[in-house]
Amino acid sequence: MVALMQPGHRSNAKLSLAIPQPATATERREPAIQVSNLSIVFDTERGQLIAVDRVSFDVPHGEFVCIVGPSGCGKSTVLNTIAGLEVPFEGEILVEGLRVHRPRPDVGMVFQQPHLFPWKSVRRNIAHGPRMLGKSAQQANAIADDLIAMVGLKRFADAYPNTLSGGMQQRVAIARALANQPRVLLMDEPFGALDAQTRAVMQDNLLELRDRIKATIVFVTHDIDEAIVLADRVLIMSAGPGRILRQLNVDLPRPRSNAILLEPTYLALKKDCLDVIRAEGLRAFRQSDET
Amino acid sequence: MVPDTALKPDEGGERARERADAGRLQRLNILIGALSVPLFVLLWELVARSGIVNIVLFPPPSVVAVAIFEWMRSGQFFLDLTASIYRVTTGFMIGAALGIFLGIMTGQFPIVSSLLSPLFHILRPIPPIAFVPIVILWFGLSETGKLFLVVWGVFFTVWLSTHIGVQKVDRGLIRAALMLGTPRRQMLQEIILLGALPYIVVGLRTAVSISFYTLVAAELAGTFAGIVYRIEIAQQNLQTGQVMGGLAALGLISFAADRMFAALAERTVWWR
Repeated sequence: MVALMQPGHRSNAKLSLAIPQPATATERREPAIQVSNLSIVFDTERGQLIAVDRVSFDVPHGEFVCIVGPSGCGKSTVLNTIAGLEVPFEGEILVEGLRVHRPRPDVGMVFQQPHLFPWKSVRRNIAHGPRMLGKSAQQANAIADDLIAMVGLKRFADAYPNTLSGGMQQRVAIARALANQPRVLLMDEPFGALDAQTRAVMQDNLLELRDRIKATIVFVTHDIDEAIVLADRVLIMSAGPGRILRQLNVDLPRPRSNAILLEPTYLALKKDCLDVIRAEGLRAFRQSDET
Repeated sequence: MVPDTALKPDEGGERARERADAGRLQRLNILIGALSVPLFVLLWELVARSGIVNIVLFPPPSVVAVAIFEWMRSGQFFLDLTASIYRVTTGFMIGAALGIFLGIMTGQFPIVSSLLSPLFHILRPIPPIAFVPIVILWFGLSETGKLFLVVWGVFFTVWLSTHIGVQKVDRGLIRAALMLGTPRRQMLQEIILLGALPYIVVGLRTAVSISFYTLVAAELAGTFAGIVYRIEIAQQNLQTGQVMGGLAALGLISFAADRMFAALAERTVWWR
């Protein structure tokens, strides 16, 4: 625990686990993520496919952004590119002011599948990142145990992934991504494979967790409800080619939970989103009809 | 009767009866299973002594047992056994080590794969037994020739399963490991080897039986000690009992090796 504390920043030192602390004032002013003119073209059998077309957006420090869009709109591709997993691309991506060209430990990622190492216990899965960054086994285990407590899996610290439910596995994956104290956390439909009830619980858990870690989060989903419940801002993407259609600020009060799904302000926001998506769907439909 | 408060008395009775029936059936199955081999041996004894078949060519189990006992008492059995086991284990280990090493190389590096895989795919289908004549030309009746045959048989199986295992490692695990800061050079030991391990273990287990096939070919090609060699000598002397005893010994060793390997495999791939 001691190793994790960042003294003086916060009265609640335990919660400062992954708080990004910009080194200088100038750094603080620039966004955590800057995506400018990002285009990604895939070579397929039927020729070139423009997966992402000149996408630009910024994410300020500490913001929670959701990218929504239909499947195949390139939203996961955008996320993978920010992660440094998708190369080559056109345009420029800066994370914390540094150009992205390969995965970096200050950028954490949670995938749709947990992708836990099946031969490692929960504790050793979470300790993997710190171990790879040169921490001793003891330090890494201490970090892991803190995170295990944070995601409520103390009883399962020594369990192997195949003995856990899907929701628990995804909690381990989130804890594992947080173990390197990332400044940016990328989440690619992390709750997409879970049943509706588990998903609602996981969303509430994530909101609680988010209040503690204060990392910048980019969350990709095709579920509008999920996006509005979680995000400060929603980016709506269209398919073929993937572009950002619209941005919506979610001015719902925090702390939030799934209960806001019944608020009138929430419903108004959801209507806005649906209108944009419907108009886009119609346009795409007509377009495909003409060609 | 077992007291079962959750059930009505008559239902409880029925449950208990069903359980007792299931238990009886299970005991019956175990009993029949235990009788399988003795019944076969008895039938064999009766047929062999009935005069329907030639007792010299088809000796009863009692004669086989005497032959095995004589074989053991003379001390020759122990020498044959160690010679055979030495060939199988040494050949297996060399072939497996080579197979795993080159499987990782071809699985990991496309250039190595382009260089070696076509060659291996041409050589692999040739049955190792077909190499006996040339092995005799090259190595004579030496132990090197015997080892060569076993190594040859084991290598291709282990190489192929390792190669496939390395290629089939979940890309998602590799991406997750990359995101967690795993350096490329540590990826092999941290992710690839363990990810491929279930495949490697299956390949090794198949190779255990292959190593026994090739042992037979190697010892038939000519040697001075060994279980299969003893079978061949006994055949030339029309000692049919000894031949059958040798077969039984070979079956037992190869069965024991497979069981041991299965137990080992379960511990190696502990997360399955």
